[in-house]
Amino acid sequence: MPRLFYVLLAIVLLFMACQQQSSNQITIAVIPKGTTAPFWNAVKAGAIQAAQELGVKMLWMGPELEDNRQQQIALVDNQVMNQVSGIVLAPLDENALRRPVRSAVDRGIPVVIMDSGLKDAEDIYSSFVATDNYLAGKLAAEHMGEILEGKGRIVVLRYLEGSASTDKRENGFMEGLKAFPAMKIISDEQYGGPTKAKAQQVSENIIMRFRNDTGDAGFDGAFCPNGAMTYGMLQALKRSRLLEKVRIIGIDADPALVTALENREVAGLVVQNPIKIGYQSVKTMFQVLQGQNVEKRIDTGVVFISPDDLAKPDIKELIYPDLDKWLSQY
Amino acid sequence: MQIRKLIDQRFTWSWLNKFGPFLALLLVFGFFVTLNAKIATATALEIIMQQSVIVGIAALGMTMVIITGGIDLSAGSNIAMSSVVIALLLDRLGIPPIYAAFTGILSGLFWGFVNGMLITRLRLVPFIVTLGTLLIVRGAAKGLANNMPITVGETWLSNLLAALPAGNKWLLFPAGAWLMIALAALVSLLLQDTRIGRHIFAVGSNEQTARLCGIAVGRIKLFVFTLGGAFAGLAGVMLLSYQEQGDPAGAVGMELDIIAAVVIGGGSLSGGEGSVVGSLIGAIIMTVIRTGCQLNGWPTWVTQLVTGVVIVVAVAVDNLRHRKAE
Repeated sequence: MPRLFYVLLAIVLLFMACQQQSSNQITIAVIPKGTTAPFWNAVKAGAIQAAQELGVKMLWMGPELEDNRQQQIALVDNQVMNQVSGIVLAPLDENALRRPVRSAVDRGIPVVIMDSGLKDAEDIYSSFVATDNYLAGKLAAEHMGEILEGKGRIVVLRYLEGSASTDKRENGFMEGLKAFPAMKIISDEQYGGPTKAKAQQVSENIIMRFRNDTGDAGFDGAFCPNGAMTYGMLQALKRSRLLEKVRIIGIDADPALVTALENREVAGLVVQNPIKIGYQSVKTMFQVLQGQNVEKRIDTGVVFISPDDLAKPDIKELIYPDLDKWLSQY
Repeated sequence: MQIRKLIDQRFTWSWLNKFGPFLALLLVFGFFVTLNAKIATATALEIIMQQSVIVGIAALGMTMVIITGGIDLSAGSNIAMSSVVIALLLDRLGIPPIYAAFTGILSGLFWGFVNGMLITRLRLVPFIVTLGTLLIVRGAAKGLANNMPITVGETWLSNLLAALPAGNKWLLFPAGAWLMIALAALVSLLLQDTRIGRHIFAVGSNEQTARLCGIAVGRIKLFVFTLGGAFAGLAGVMLLSYQEQGDPAGAVGMELDIIAAVVIGGGSLSGGEGSVVGSLIGAIIMTVIRTGCQLNGWPTWVTQLVTGVVIVVAVAVDNLRHRKAE
């Protein structure tokens, strides 16, 4: 009996010692939109890298599905209860997450927003770290103009009604194209929808609408605001045997699209830098906790990649990143 | 005199019963032809058939399920799962396409069987069971594919739903569309001219009576859900052919398109009614609307609105027909 008492006492003391130690350490909770998509794995790798460099503890937890607002709200609230030092959040919804973010900040826990914006909340969060989607679209337009030598008919295949990030890309593209007066957008009213097969069907119908008997597609360039739209347009053109007639520029890359770029089936891809988003967010949070001044808006940048760029080492690292090196250390 | 009139009336309504969906198709098609003649070209017809195949094949199975008074909400997930299974076998294991495709159909059959067993053995409502398997199968497909679409190289499977090469235009439609038509004929025969087919209708019309008449209601339900799953599996083969990827996020929400096709085709969600030919026409009507709207450059919201109106009108006409028949 006494022995058991000492063992228990030792365990309790040890436990308290651990508690003591961890409360001295900075703990940053990082809450993504989803946990398993490749994009978020890259963000996670960046966050781990920053946490190791800065010697802070990073907690990674996110909702299963990218549309589960309730689950993400609960995650933020729970981290407030856990009394973490700071929260990095990629809001699923630009409105629904405002309340939990405000209550975290009210209780003295600073919040850095990453990837997607939070509406009317500039006075609440410390910083917003993300790709500038408008600029990404504009960059695509500049290269479209260059590739087609300033003239041609363009199709914009939109993604989904109400998707803020892709809306900005589409607007940026259309705005950027105005620099080329001889380029005309002939269709921008079609939304490809949530699946690749739907995007492919919509693309086929667009092709059918414009193609003529001379073997011309009826348009010279296509802009696709995300990976699924790019793939759908690519498939539709390939199967209509019109791929050589149309230059596709898309935003975001995945293995299938990188292969298409290698084969020159796609003229170019504008890619974001998810590792940098994760890295920069955690670093910015650390700076906030140290009492340093940080920029309210941090742009993590986009890069245009043409088939010729694929051999460049810095581009290679961007599209074939070695995530496992960091992910295995979490 | 009066009897004669009654017979005439009966004849008119039974005629409408048979050809109602076809009439609707002609109406919708004619409407779009007057707007833009491009929809009546051979290429347009080929594309319309091609775009109807995935929903159409799955609708064959769904028709049987709906005739028994059931519903299968897991069809979309089942289609995605089948495409993932095939892509894994092709890409990772290098299995010949024919066996891979067959395994995809078996995967659909398996999940259909699971649905059937849960519904008959545990006596659960199909709506709830398949709502559960919708999530289970979707989750399993995502896990199996490690959350990434699996791209497969070009095999002869891709040709099932590819545009016809210039020399083969006399085929009118790609192979997948002909397969769909042949299967529709087979299932139609099964429903009309076999005992099991009549039992399927009997179970849906009145389950209690069917049971009292000695029909093995449980076995009939297990049969239709399993066969329905196999058709979803085949639709998965078509998805893979079309997209050239096994996509764990593919066919999301497609079960609603499939159910809508069956309903436009004259199927009744309360059971006892439905025809595979009608369902096929229902699937084609929805594609014609989408293609027609997009050929005219109408925005996406108009397409959705028009499709919705057609579904409601179809059900309303169906309802009216019933009241007249009584």
